[in-house]
Amino acid sequence: MRATYRALAGLIALGVVVQAALIAAAWFTVLHNADNGSVFDKNTGYNWAQIGHSVVGLMLIPLFSIILLIVSFFVRVPGGVKWALITFGVVVLQILFAIFGFGAPIVGLLHGLNAFAVAGVASVAMRKARLAEQPAPATQPAPIA
Amino acid sequence: MRTSVRVAIGVAATLAVLGPLGYFWVGSLVPSPYDMSAMGTEDFGGGPAVHSHGGTISVASLTGPTTGKPAVDVTLTARKQGDRYLVNGTSPGPELHAVKGQLVQVTLVNDNINDGITLHWHGVDVPNAEDGVAGLTQNAVKPGQRHVYRFVAQHAGTYWYHSHQVSHEQVRGGLFGALVITDKSEKSGNGAAGSKGGQPGAPRQTAPSGPAGAPAAAATDQVVAVHTYDGRRTINGANGVSTMQAAPGATIRARIINTDAGPIRVWVSGTPFKLLAIDGRDLHDPGDISDKSVLLTAGGRADLQLKAPARIDVGAGVALAIGGAATAANPEPRDTLDPLTYGTPAEIGFDPTHPTRTFDYRIGRRIGFLDGKPGFWWTINGHEFPDVPMFMVRTGDVVRMTIANSSGEVHPMHLHGHHAVVLSRNGAPATGSPWWIDSLDVGDGETYEIAFIADNPGIWADHCHNLKHAADGLVAHLAYAGVSTPYRVGGDSDNHPE
Ligand SMILES: [Cu+2]
Repeated sequence: MRATYRALAGLIALGVVVQAALIAAAWFTVLHNADNGSVFDKNTGYNWAQIGHSVVGLMLIPLFSIILLIVSFFVRVPGGVKWALITFGVVVLQILFAIFGFGAPIVGLLHGLNAFAVAGVASVAMRKARLAEQPAPATQPAPIA
Repeated sequence: MRTSVRVAIGVAATLAVLGPLGYFWVGSLVPSPYDMSAMGTEDFGGGPAVHSHGGTISVASLTGPTTGKPAVDVTLTARKQGDRYLVNGTSPGPELHAVKGQLVQVTLVNDNINDGITLHWHGVDVPNAEDGVAGLTQNAVKPGQRHVYRFVAQHAGTYWYHSHQVSHEQVRGGLFGALVITDKSEKSGNGAAGSKGGQPGAPRQTAPSGPAGAPAAAATDQVVAVHTYDGRRTINGANGVSTMQAAPGATIRARIINTDAGPIRVWVSGTPFKLLAIDGRDLHDPGDISDKSVLLTAGGRADLQLKAPARIDVGAGVALAIGGAATAANPEPRDTLDPLTYGTPAEIGFDPTHPTRTFDYRIGRRIGFLDGKPGFWWTINGHEFPDVPMFMVRTGDVVRMTIANSSGEVHPMHLHGHHAVVLSRNGAPATGSPWWIDSLDVGDGETYEIAFIADNPGIWADHCHNLKHAADGLVAHLAYAGVSTPYRVGGDSDNHPE
């Protein structure tokens, strides 16, 4: 269970890295298509990287952060629930920054910055789980039951 | 803490997380198949309560004239070739011409399009059964099948036809064409009424601009259908700069049709111009325009009058050069013509200050599920499809509608079967010519008030003409008392109007 917690937190942090890579590829794809004479307008569908960005950002990361939260209720990781909640919170914030970015593109800056927060808090959650796994009698409370 | 207590708390917390999610997820599921006219919440707009479902008048009975010999009789055969949709072998399909008062009959034949097809007469306020919306006014026409549309051409103007089955894909892929209705047959420089079009097998993208067979030197009336195929913007299927023959000094009526998903800016070089009509309705007392572009919403039409030689730009380097010597292209003007103050006032034929019903059409966006799929989805009056308003009217009602957009993106709002007059934008009243629309560009942060008379019984789509947006739930309906539909959407009905 603790390994699951750790893996989910790791996947969220990894997801942020993937998102950054995808959005870079998305922009280069747009520019490259424009180079070939394509119009980028309301007819333009999402390119593969933009589709990837919305699948990872609107489905996978939210799904992982919800499962992380649920797993945290059952796993013994000090601060596990707290960090899962914080992760969930910044993921929600990230989605809000995305939706408001359409009307106010400047909000995109916050979307980009908050991505580091998502990766950061997910990494903290991951480390908490790893520390809890290590046999450290001084800090680890004795098992009850 | 005891393990059992911990587990119990964990289960409770899990339910607290999953419960609301599951509730919203289940609530977003769309029944399949479903009755479009029974969807959503009835909205009476402050008028008397009336109902549509369970009504005794079937949409299918609200047809055009069933007898009489059509003056315009055309067969349009649609086929799919690769990812391109062709009508009689071309895209755009044949340009249809009719004279006001003529009975038009179009037989739509589906050659090989497995999803099925329909034809919607965009901007023509046809009887409901001829409106061509799959699952609402007819069933989609499957391969090998045909469907006959019959209606009287009632208002001279520029219109277009397009599929309203899986429309976000089929229109983008080319299943559309122009329809021009003229006051008298000689007004159209292209000759007699009927159909003109490209040659079978040859997509219009490779053909010269202008309808085939048009007397080249005499043309004074030119359809300029703008469409973007796979990232290539075109005029009548031609990329780059097309040419049109015209004698110097000849007066040209250019009928610009935006068949795309987003607004385009149109500007003229070499001569001042007049904006004669918007969406098939003449403007009153249009003045000369120079150094301004015309914003043309998706699905909308603008008729420009100008003297050759001239050049019309529609953006992305795509233009029509009219009349011999190449006219140098001006850069896109910084200012945009505001139809709210263009021309001079005239009678609109009804009093919108005392409406029978006043509706709100507030467009927003939120995170949620659409038929179980998570994403950013459009909302109408705060609710997602299918929980959208059903605007209920009786024949003869004076209707006001406030369309407000706070969704972060522009929406070209299209009401079927009716023309509405624009009363105000962001509280500023219309002071120019009566501005009639069937397609209205509602930008983010904008609020329009429009008014119309409910004079065309049926059930009518009132949706965003960025057709992907419609497919993503930005669609509501205007329904007349007592009218119901025998058709169904989704499931084994194979009808997918958006
Ligand atoms: Cu839209």
